[in-house]
Amino acid sequence: MQTERIVHLALPRGRKAFCELCLAPATVRCGGCGVTFYCEVEHQNADWVSVHEKICQLLIPLRTALPFYDSEKKRKHGREQKISREKFLAEVTHNTAQKFLYEGKHEDAIPAALHSLKFNISVHGLNSSELVPAYLMLAEASLGLGHLSQAEEYLSQARWSVLKTSQCSPAIESKLHRNLGLLYVAKGNFEESLYHLANDIYFASCAFGTNDVAVSGGYFHMANVFFRQNRMDVADSMYTEVTEIWYNHFKRLIDQQYQSLMSPSEINMLPEEETTGDVLDESQQAEATQMLNAILDIREQASKPKVDKIATLVCTLAMFHCLIFDMPKAHELAKKTLHLIKLEPVEGLEDTLHRLVKLIKSKPFYVK
Amino acid sequence: MSILPPVQIQCPKEHPDTEEVRCPSPAFARMHLIKGKDAIDRYLAMHIKGLSKQEAAAYRNSYKKNICIDMLRQGYHKSFAELFTLIEKWNALREASGPGSAIWLQKSLEEQPEKLDQLHFFLTSAEAAQRSEYYEEMYLNQLSLAYCFNKSEDRWLRNYFYEQCYKTAQLIKIDGGRKEAEAHSNMGLVCEEQGQFLKAAEHYEAFYHLTVGRIWKDETGRTLNTLACEHLWRIYTLLADKMLQNKEHQQAIKTLIKAFEMAKEADNKNMEAEAAFCLGLAYHSAGEEDTAILKLNAFLELSKILGDYGGIGRAYEALAQVLVSLGEVDEAITYLEKFLNIARKVQLTHNLVDACTFLGNIYNERGNYSKACEYFDQAFCAANVLADLPLVNETKVYCGIGKAHNMMVKVNSHTGAADHVGIIYLLAWKENRNDMCTDPFTVGQSGTVALPDISTDAKEEEPVIQIS
Repeated sequence: MQTERIVHLALPRGRKAFCELCLAPATVRCGGCGVTFYCEVEHQNADWVSVHEKICQLLIPLRTALPFYDSEKKRKHGREQKISREKFLAEVTHNTAQKFLYEGKHEDAIPAALHSLKFNISVHGLNSSELVPAYLMLAEASLGLGHLSQAEEYLSQARWSVLKTSQCSPAIESKLHRNLGLLYVAKGNFEESLYHLANDIYFASCAFGTNDVAVSGGYFHMANVFFRQNRMDVADSMYTEVTEIWYNHFKRLIDQQYQSLMSPSEINMLPEEETTGDVLDESQQAEATQMLNAILDIREQASKPKVDKIATLVCTLAMFHCLIFDMPKAHELAKKTLHLIKLEPVEGLEDTLHRLVKLIKSKPFYVK
Repeated sequence: MSILPPVQIQCPKEHPDTEEVRCPSPAFARMHLIKGKDAIDRYLAMHIKGLSKQEAAAYRNSYKKNICIDMLRQGYHKSFAELFTLIEKWNALREASGPGSAIWLQKSLEEQPEKLDQLHFFLTSAEAAQRSEYYEEMYLNQLSLAYCFNKSEDRWLRNYFYEQCYKTAQLIKIDGGRKEAEAHSNMGLVCEEQGQFLKAAEHYEAFYHLTVGRIWKDETGRTLNTLACEHLWRIYTLLADKMLQNKEHQQAIKTLIKAFEMAKEADNKNMEAEAAFCLGLAYHSAGEEDTAILKLNAFLELSKILGDYGGIGRAYEALAQVLVSLGEVDEAITYLEKFLNIARKVQLTHNLVDACTFLGNIYNERGNYSKACEYFDQAFCAANVLADLPLVNETKVYCGIGKAHNMMVKVNSHTGAADHVGIIYLLAWKENRNDMCTDPFTVGQSGTVALPDISTDAKEEEPVIQIS
């Protein structure tokens, strides 16, 4: 990271420099690109850690004046090039922010999300539904940091965009309502949050079907609300639903892998079919760990632990760890499940477990 | 063609008070009380200050969405998933059958707020009961839903909920299996309606085993066990009918014997008689005439006890048929005459037509054409009374056959004689087209005997039949 102090008088006339993050008058600038200004080193540091390191050089062509073109054709080409660069940057920054969010680094996600928003505005204009994901990321990060009013503002923006465009995909609407729901949970307004989470589940069901993992998040947060409202029967039923959704999802994946393991000839014929690498994307991984562990905690701390439900849960976790190649952990959990179903047998679980253990043992980097 | 007499297929009966099953309007009902635009405007004007974002959204959203969200807010996620899947399922069905099919023109569930209301109310009540493990209440709610959807276009829904009831009923343990038995009975009726007789029989058998030795009664005061016997009797008869159509005589007889036993156990003489009759027919078609006569006689006795003249008539007719196939025509004729008498006495015109035609046929085959003619005439008159056009046409043809046969003898004799008188007779007949070869010198006065008005198609058929 290179920092250069700037002297305002040395800047070209009429050009004011503002901080990249907070829009305050700038005092420093990045020495790498020379086109990004900050109010303090702190902000520069934050931006650098978040996303600037990746896009530093890419910003130069966007922020310097366009070269002089001598024909309309070239000018047009130049404009198009600029837009495609901005689009690319919007995507890069979006992915970076998303990654930070999955990792739970909310602070680092904010600058990247802001950049994403900025690029999207400059590509699509202020009134477009493409801004919604960026708003949502900002809101999520703010929620994570506990800045409720900030989050509310972003969510209101997002909601307004969704309302105005009215052709938003259900997936996006689902995400919007989930964040709204979480916001109201944080504010302690349970009724409102239930309303939004219900919307979330509805939209997610429209987009993916009622048994998809995308719906499980809504159920989980709703269950948490009911849990905090002390409506244990509802919460319990919903936690079971979440577990079942994940259980079935993982079971399908495990079964696929098991099948390809049992019939290796097919793998040789269709090697590209083997999709072990990307069966679970990052967001699903993050969601699964968060939800399943939270439910397990709740279940184990309940006054009357229900062994059968814990067994299913542990088995689900074991499958999860197997799918993300955390074999020792998967093996340990599988053992635990075995122990639990000896106490109280659960229908169908033994079969799944059997397949899982075989699969774990087949992995080459399995350490005993 | 089926050999056994038609048995009415039963389907799950309509609930006695469908109107009352309508759900009471829940708290959110006011959302859909306002349907017209004017009403909305008035409502907005009155309550504009109190209109929150949620309420505004409720107007903007579809009714289905409002219902779904309402369910979810209260934590009824299973009801939501069920409703959602049902709607999806219907849409998929509709897509699959494509435009032009019956289902294509029907309204989707989404567009029928009353049905959605009912689903919402009962599904959530069922789920609440399930959560607190009151399976009986859950069963009752699901049953109400099944009763709600009784129209023919909602069959799939009704069947779905009967199935759900059946699943729930298996969880109910405290009532000794009564609910389970009822659920079996309902499932049996559903299967019967869909024509899956074997499956229906299985359900009815389960129903029977669960109710045997119990004194449970239904709302009309009949014991469930009798009901089971009745269902079993009916389904066995239906099954036997199918088997007879496939020429599986022995199996059909076995099934019918089971039906007979069920009828006996239900202590229902009507059913017993019917079963005996069917058995008789089955034995007859299997070629075991002696046993058939035995069974038909039993049927005759039972009908006499019951005072069922139609039954007695049918017994005579069937007996006559068996006797004819045994070659004992005289005895058959006596039975048929009895049948005829009964039919006349109690004004069973249909049976009268049958009996006359049958008798006419027998005489026709034996060469007693004038008698045959007489009976066919009677049949025709009776059919005219009924005003049943196909039957009238049929008897017309029989009349034609009888008359033609009757004439044939005389015409043949005159042609065979080949003398002058004969020719005069024939010519006179040709002029008159009278149905008798009468004396040509009296023809002018005698006039035509009431000749039935034979339509052209019947005339055309005549020669064909004569040749055959």
